[in-house]
Amino acid sequence: MLPENLTAVVARNESWTGTSASEPYEAGWAKEAIVFVRALKQPKGSLPKARIEISADGMHWCAEGSEFALPAAKDAVTFQRLAHFGNFVRVAATLPEGAEITVLVTLHLKA
Amino acid sequence: MTQLDDMRRAIREADPQLSRFDPLPRIICLDDFDRGMCGWTQLVGNYEDSLDAMLPGYAQHSQAMLSTLPNWDFGSHGGVDGSYALKIATRPKKGAQNVAIKRLTFRKPGPIRLEAYFTFKPEATDLQLSETDIRSFGFLYDLQIGDSSGPGDRVMPHLRFLNAQDGKHLQKWQFKRKTTPIKPIGNAGKTITHYHLAPDDWEDLPGGEQRLCYNEIPTKVNWHYLRFDFDLGSMQATRFQVNDRVFAMDGFDCIRIPAMKNLWCMLNLCFFAETDTDKRAFAYLDSVCLSGEF
Repeated sequence: MLPENLTAVVARNESWTGTSASEPYEAGWAKEAIVFVRALKQPKGSLPKARIEISADGMHWCAEGSEFALPAAKDAVTFQRLAHFGNFVRVAATLPEGAEITVLVTLHLKA
Repeated sequence: MTQLDDMRRAIREADPQLSRFDPLPRIICLDDFDRGMCGWTQLVGNYEDSLDAMLPGYAQHSQAMLSTLPNWDFGSHGGVDGSYALKIATRPKKGAQNVAIKRLTFRKPGPIRLEAYFTFKPEATDLQLSETDIRSFGFLYDLQIGDSSGPGDRVMPHLRFLNAQDGKHLQKWQFKRKTTPIKPIGNAGKTITHYHLAPDDWEDLPGGEQRLCYNEIPTKVNWHYLRFDFDLGSMQATRFQVNDRVFAMDGFDCIRIPAMKNLWCMLNLCFFAETDTDKRAFAYLDSVCLSGEF
């Protein structure tokens, strides 16, 4: 049987300001993931790096260590490859005052 | 019972996966989420030109998950059998909803039967029973007759278990026959929208009070059996059962709106969850069996 392969849109047209994150996504079945972030509108202000966070229970989060740029222009896309993320995964970012980005965040998971 | 019925029953009962269902003769799908998402996806709202055109009710929806029902205090719970169930999670905001959908069409306007094992819990952020944190769990069909079947309606039977509202533990089944006003989307004249899961206009199913098994700490769950029979010919519900209770459906009706020009023979099936507090509501399915008489 072909291995499980899933595209999950975990944030669609969400405007991130301040401390923001995608909703917790349970993906313990997957061995690997790629997270894509697309800017759906022209971002405003100085963009920080996004970080991957992981969790045992979807409530208590740790920085996984991966950081990657947020897309700097409308329709630009950035990504991060992931392995060994256990169960819950999310993308988080802490935006400074005046910064805003409207994101489409997708997880591409493979068993 | 004919000999064929007896033979069908014997074959079904020899198969542990099918034996826990009572399907009609043709199984349209048997979705055990140990085989992946089985065609269940998120219900995205209509839009044109910009996603900003999507109604907020739909914009809040996100993708369902393959879940082992993991808990911080005892680990994975697992499904009815196998490791995985489908998890529908709302956002952590009072009144938030989320929906998972499977989109099919039908080939005969006859009886169909939906059966599922379900359970629900709020996110265990408090070490309390939290039995009133979930507002509702429910399901719906989105149906439309075939293009040659003459004028007809788009018909949307909705049923929800209203567990709690504003902290009151209500525990009753409700249905809906009104949706929100239909709004055009964009300028091309091709798209319209309405939010059929709006919080207003739910009506109590007569005799629909039911106390379910809700286990004693915020993480334990028990699976419930659900069966809903519907006739695509008459577009009427014929039977509704949850666990040991069969509910009279005389007082039940559906949302009925004019047929749309591109949805012929549509057979969409949705499950949803709704939270009553600023805490995520989780609804779980394992598994879903849809069958028909054709």
